[in-house]
Amino acid sequence: MRWLAAGLMALSAAFTAGCGGGKATANGSNNTSLSQSRLTQAETRAAGFTKSGDYQNAARQYAEALRIATTLENADAIAANAINLSVVSQWLGRDNDARAALDAVLTDSHTAFSERRKIQAELRRAIVELGGGNTGAAAIWAGQAQQRCSATNCEYAAGILNVRAQIELDSGRAAEAAQLAQSAAERSRSSGSRVESANALRTLGRARYAQGQPAAAIEPLKQALEIDREMGDPRKILADLADLSRAAEAAGDAAAARDYKERGLAVSRAMNGGRGAPEAALTR
Amino acid sequence: MSVALPTRRFAGIVAKVNAFLLIAFVLVLAFLGLVAYKQGWFVHQSPIHFVTANALGINKGMPVKLHGFTIGSVNDMELAQGGVDVKLLIGSEYLRRIPQDSRAKHARESGVIGASVIDIVPGKAERALAEGAQISFEPARGINEIIDDFRRQAIPAFNEVKAAMSQVGHAGEDVTQILANLRQEVEQLPATHRAIRKLVEEAAQATADVSKQAAVTLDAVDKVSRTVDRTIPEVSEKLVSTLQSIDAAAVQARKTGEEVQLTLRAARPLVEHSEVAAREAGDVLGAAKRVWPLSDSFKETSDGLLPIDSFEAEGKGRSR
Repeated sequence: MRWLAAGLMALSAAFTAGCGGGKATANGSNNTSLSQSRLTQAETRAAGFTKSGDYQNAARQYAEALRIATTLENADAIAANAINLSVVSQWLGRDNDARAALDAVLTDSHTAFSERRKIQAELRRAIVELGGGNTGAAAIWAGQAQQRCSATNCEYAAGILNVRAQIELDSGRAAEAAQLAQSAAERSRSSGSRVESANALRTLGRARYAQGQPAAAIEPLKQALEIDREMGDPRKILADLADLSRAAEAAGDAAAARDYKERGLAVSRAMNGGRGAPEAALTR
Repeated sequence: MSVALPTRRFAGIVAKVNAFLLIAFVLVLAFLGLVAYKQGWFVHQSPIHFVTANALGINKGMPVKLHGFTIGSVNDMELAQGGVDVKLLIGSEYLRRIPQDSRAKHARESGVIGASVIDIVPGKAERALAEGAQISFEPARGINEIIDDFRRQAIPAFNEVKAAMSQVGHAGEDVTQILANLRQEVEQLPATHRAIRKLVEEAAQATADVSKQAAVTLDAVDKVSRTVDRTIPEVSEKLVSTLQSIDAAAVQARKTGEEVQLTLRAARPLVEHSEVAAREAGDVLGAAKRVWPLSDSFKETSDGLLPIDSFEAEGKGRSR
């Protein structure tokens, strides 16, 4: 009888432990699900605010998502939210916040971020630095991204080349800038990135203008304008029209220059809701 | 202190307890066996796998179906080179029914609303799939794509209907203008009639004067007067009948115009309803996107990363 009772108890104990163990796992899973759910909610809210143009709240939600992702040690989510926070911060004109957000990826040696995320963060940092006029720092970060990208044959090659071309152009080396922009245009064409293709063509046009070839600058700028109109980004359309106006004027076509300038002013006024136009972009 | 138990009452107690425990033991074993059977522990299962760029909507335990019949489930998922490696456990007895060139498809049981399943679409190869083999995977076609297709096909049709109705509307305006002009002319007819009568009277008067003044030409004038007297009533009658015909035509034209206007009035709400219906369909679809259980079907396929655009490096990012 004793062996029978012992066997029964052992079986019961095993069964109870099995159920209890399952329960504990489920509880743990629930906790994780709760945090995961909060993370998803914050990311969704941030995306919604970004779409509606409320960048203040979008930045707040991306910061919250970054905090939750850090508590979960979710490397991919940390990187994605840090990059998004840097993008929105830059749109708000907070370059320091944009840099600080990227530090979550670039200075953390303990978390195993994927090579793709590291490239994204380094490219973003280069963009933030160049946007703030720090061409030296931008060149360093773009170089690191380029090195990592070459090793993995990544999708951001055209973007990196475009940033490097802009760095060269800002540093007064127009020939090198034209060469890099040409490579970026070819790369973006093969990868199918129309955004970077337009950026490359715009930079190529500017580089040719800077080289004293305004007539040769017009064609790539026209192509960039065509793509940007298809993509529907008024900031880029305005930039293209401004560059075209300058190039046409330098090439001796005063009528075309005037036409581009008037179109640019119309876009600029419409961007500002009809309340006057910041003509600086067109007369730069 | 010892308690004396009645020996007759507890005779054979050990055997009874043993029997109770034995039955309980057997029942527990049977229960465990049943659970194991239901969980499929006694069925031999074979693994196969596929790699997808995006595992959104795929979960562990999701059923795998062949011709709508459940043959296994999703066992495990892990990040791999180029996406997510999804492992499926298929009942070994069903593996021989899956040809080598079969592919897996993420589908829903009832269109867009039902539960998600992995559907195995059988190929045409003669040899069956081997254990552990990799098969190709086809992601689900999202509702967004279906709606875009519908919109692409529906919008030109709506535009054509709108243009046709607009042309009908313009034609109606022309008819109205013509009828208005005609009505104005008809309103002036009595005045014209009076003027003609006055003219006839004056002619008669002039004839009388001439007869008084010219005695020599009296006969001739008399003849003319008789002719005039004979002709004028005929002309007058013809004129009256012509005016009556014009009047009837004007009434008919007015009636037709009113009918055309009524038709246009009836057609305009139809066009407006079509536009409202199209707008409302858009709203309903937009709302459906946010409502469970459809919301899962509308999830964005990207990883939620904002675009990394080298244009921002020009320092124009903030003027967005």
